[in-house]
This record gives sequence, structure tokens and C-alpha cells, in this order.
Amino acid sequence: MKTYAYFPGCSLEKMAHSYHLSALETTRALGVELRELEDWNCCGATAYFHVDELLAYTLSARNIAMAEKEHLNLVAPCSGCFKNLFFTRSHLKHDPDLAEHINVALAEDNLQFTGSATVQHLIEVFVQDVGLAEIKARVTNPLQGLRVAPYYGCQILRPRKDHEDVEQPRFFEDLVAACGAVPVSYPLRLTCCGGALIITNRVAALSLVRNLLESAVRERATVIVTACPLCQVNLECYQKQVNREFGTDLNVPVMYFTQLVGLALGIPPKRLGIGSELVAVMPAIADAQKTEPAPVGT
Amino acid sequence: MSEAKRLLMIDDDPDFVAGIKAILVKAKYEVDVAYNPKDGLQALKSKNYDLLLLDVMMGRGAEGIMIARKLGKDPKLRDLPVLIITGIREQMAFLFPGQAVHPHFVPVDELVEKPVEPKLLLEKVEALLKTAETRKAQSP
Amino acid sequence: MNAAPVESLPAPPENGLSFVAEIGNLLHAAEGNPINTCIQCGTCSATCPVASGGFMDHSPRRIIALIRAGFKDQVLRANTFWYCASCFQCTVRCPRGIDIAELMYGLKRYTVWKAQHQEGLIGPVFSETFVKMILRSGRSYEPVLATTYLFTYGLPEIIQEAQTATALMLKGRLPLLPARIKRLDNFKRMIRRIIPLGDSE
Repeated sequence: MKTYAYFPGCSLEKMAHSYHLSALETTRALGVELRELEDWNCCGATAYFHVDELLAYTLSARNIAMAEKEHLNLVAPCSGCFKNLFFTRSHLKHDPDLAEHINVALAEDNLQFTGSATVQHLIEVFVQDVGLAEIKARVTNPLQGLRVAPYYGCQILRPRKDHEDVEQPRFFEDLVAACGAVPVSYPLRLTCCGGALIITNRVAALSLVRNLLESAVRERATVIVTACPLCQVNLECYQKQVNREFGTDLNVPVMYFTQLVGLALGIPPKRLGIGSELVAVMPAIADAQKTEPAPVGT
Repeated sequence: MSEAKRLLMIDDDPDFVAGIKAILVKAKYEVDVAYNPKDGLQALKSKNYDLLLLDVMMGRGAEGIMIARKLGKDPKLRDLPVLIITGIREQMAFLFPGQAVHPHFVPVDELVEKPVEPKLLLEKVEALLKTAETRKAQSP
Repeated sequence: MNAAPVESLPAPPENGLSFVAEIGNLLHAAEGNPINTCIQCGTCSATCPVASGGFMDHSPRRIIALIRAGFKDQVLRANTFWYCASCFQCTVRCPRGIDIAELMYGLKRYTVWKAQHQEGLIGPVFSETFVKMILRSGRSYEPVLATTYLFTYGLPEIIQEAQTATALMLKGRLPLLPARIKRLDNFKRMIRRIIPLGDSE
């Protein structure tokens, strides 16, 4: 069994608890163990960079150093946390002066950053480490005919981590297809959901959410699938406010990719935290699978 | 007459630098300025200075502390007297209202807070230079 | 300069350092965020979902033009960087390799340190509250954050927020008590090694 150090992040404690549950359930089913870091702290979100970047690096470095102590690579399910952890590691690795400075602080908690642990987003564990072929082979409940709009959001892709394609990625569509569902192509799959603007500039964020939802609905998506708790909350929990603000009539379920994979693996919805969403997922899926003919050849 | 003492000032606030530099130049010091930590470290490597005047909040954050720690570990620069001139309490007032800069966490010789009285500044500079000279004379 | 407002160009700074150099010094230890190589192509503004939605008073392209022309007050008073959602689309698409999102972070820091940002923005209050909260407990807690924006809302928005919060509460998605990390004393000492303020414990 492959084991990772797991950094859930603050959102997964409560607001996105279903992401946490489904992450643990599906990885277990795929032969992967996520071992939660024992005393992890908040990654700092974007707020820390607005005040002091060195402070932001210190917060993330503490989490990375705890993974190093366990001799495990680190995995984060939240795109924001992932971005902070990933770039903290790469900045510290490339700037020994910075690493030395941060290590003075980490010593107060008996920790040290060396750069030995890698940082990945949870979806990379599914797509790259476990692999799509392996997932496909384990699917017992193919989600035939279900039209799924994969939503990449921002920070899985951007800023660019290496030389990967940030304009035409395919991995999320491929993951949806591996679950037996139909990936829906829609123009705004890489466009921002507004992130923390939902707090700092409500109308701007609601307008971004509206554009996104309409873009997916126009391509007849039954469900949107995300890989980030902030995206999920913006796209799902603020739909009513979008409707009130713009006079729209949107009602699209938004689920985590781990829930989609979990359903395809035959895990009962309840164990995947399904039922805690504001726009119900299961009735929409049942409806869609009733009305949509299965694609030819599957 | 002995040669003019050479000071380096690392501070990102151009208005503040202009004011302090004028005071020091008037007192017959030779003053070089670096407006960011990187240029500052470069200057320290390429020239000899008698004293460093160092800001704290620069660039990404409290980089002045990072520079001070680095100097402390460098055998060539370890003995360079460092005077921190900082407005950190005001800059971070929302975070630590009314709290003092804690000397335990700042590895430098002296610390004064912005805004600085010209008289106090010149006294501190002179005292630090004198101490450094005495130390030099005593070491073999 | 094509983006300059109708006012005449500001005089060069008396202190001898241009505003673009001052801002450049804020970025990644001045490792060369090449703001000065901007060709004003406007890819950043076109690609920015917030700017193209008409929510920013100056687009990113225009902010860069204003910085280079030395319009310090206009830049610092702008809402542009506080309305940046950190999506990094401008950063990955800039043909000159300028990390524009990082520039926005730099401008936020600059105005927070100098307490010079535009009045009435939620962004700075939110960032400061968030940082304070994490320094106190090591973890985030949503209900504290709500206090940073509710006071700016009118009654209809407050009612909508309350409805959303109630719905989330009923689904068990809002925390009732703040979480905190276990080794909090170590954590606080660690922070003081980076920001040397407060008492030593």
C-alpha cells in the first residue's frame, strides 16, 4: 500500500467535510493510504502573502517539515493549500538563504525543512500515481450517460509548476471518462470561480460564478465536478444568491472528483459524504442516467 | 584627520533614505544606499563598510532580520556593527498592537524606531563605530 | 503614454528613486520581475475575469502603465490589486514573463505596511483579520471571517448571507467552535523568529 502524508486544510474540517470523507474512502479502495499530519496548521491562504511572504513560507514549511519527519511525500486536496505548499517548497529549495532563515523559526518546533518530501495535489495521486487504467479497471458502477463538467479552477494549473500544458489540459476529462461518465467540454473550465472575492467583492464573485455555471449548463452538464473546496462552495452554496442577484434559474449539483470516483467504485453515497450538499447530487444523477441513452459501444 | 567612515544603508523607503542620508552626509560620513536586500548583500560583498544601517520590512517581508542573521554567520562580516532602523511596530500594528520589538529575536547591536531624531541617530552611529574600533584594536 | 490619465505626468521623485524601481524592489527579493519590459499588449486585462467583468477601476495593463509613469497616488488608491482573485491567468499568459499576480501581492503588502489603501475595501480588513486569526490558533475559523464583511452589506445581502449560513449549518457544514493546533506555544515562538514583535515566552 502506497502511503502519503495528508494535509487536509481548514476547509475540509467542516465546510468541505464530504471531500475529506470521500478522499479517504476512495484512496483506501484504490490501495492508497492518506496519513493525516499530526498537528498541521493553516497554509496561510492568500492573506499571508498580503502581509509578509516570509511568514507565509514559514506556515507552509512547518507542514512540509512534518511530512519530511515521517519520511512521506505530502498531498493536499485543496488547490489553494497545494499551491502554497508546492511553491514554498520550490522557493526554499532554490534559495538556501531563505531556507536557512525559515529553519531558524522551524527549530522552535523541533522541525527542519530539507526539501526531501514532494508536494502533490490529491488529483495527481489519482491521475498519475494510481493511474487512469488502474481506476478504470476497478470501476464496478460505471456512470454511463452521466454528463459531467470537470472544473479545473486555477491553482492546480497556475502558476505553472514546470513545463506542463496550462492551456489545454486533459487529465480531468480523462478521469471523468475513466469513471464511465461523459466529460462535457465547456469554455470556462479553466476560468476562476472568484475564490476569496466571494467575501471581499461579493458581486464580482457572484458574476464569475454565474458565467461558469451557465457555461457548463449550456453544454448540458448534469453535474460539475471540482478538485477544490473553495470552488465547490462558491459554485454550489452561492447559486441561490446568484439567482437572486441576476434573476437566473440555476440549480446544478457540484460535487468533488473523489465523490464521482467513489460512486464509480461502488462505494455507497453516504460514505462519500453525499447528502451534505445544498443542491442534491443523487436525484440529478438518477434522473440523468434514466433519460440519457448510454453511449454506443460501452 | 582620519579617513571618513563609510556606511551602508539598506532600506526600501526612498523618502526615508533621502532624509537620513542627508543627516549622515552632513556629519561627514560617506553613505552608500541599497533599496532592496539583494543589492544590499551585493554591496556588502563588494566593498568594505564600517557600519550597516538596516531596515526590517522590505521586499517580501521582514527581510532585514534575514540579512542580520546571515551577517552573523559570515566570518568576514560578523564584526560589522549593525544598527536597525525600523518602523515595524507601525507597519505591523494591526497584528501586534502596542507590542515591542523583542530583542531576543533580533540579532543586532542596536535598534531604533522610525521616525528617528537626527541627534539620537548620530549618537548611536558614533557609539557603534567607537565600540567596533576598540574591539578591533584589542583583537590580535 | 497611451494609458495616462488626462493629468500631466508627475514630476520625477525628489528622492531619486523611480516608483517603478520602488515597486520592483518589493517583488521576490527583486529577483527581476521585469515590469519595465511590459509592452502594454493588454493580454493581462483581457484574460483577467475580474477586469473584463468591469469590476476594477484600473485594469492590470493600466496599473503597470501608471506605475511606470510614476502615478504613485493613483496606483496606491486603486482597487485593482485588492480585487485580484489570485487566478494567475495573467501570470501564465504574459508574453514578457512578468509575474503580474505577484505584482498585485506586492502592491497589497506595500499599502498594508503603509496603511494607504483605498477606504472602504473589504480586502485589507479581511487579510489582516485572517492573519491575526491564524497567529492566535494556527487554524482558520469561518465565523470570525464573516465579521470582516457583514458590516459593509445592506439588509438584502445580510439576509441572503444568513440564509446561506443557515442552510450550511443544517447540513453540518459550519464549525461551531474554533479549532486550534496542539503545539501552539512552539508555533507562536516560531512566528516571532520571523516577525520579531511581542514578548518572549
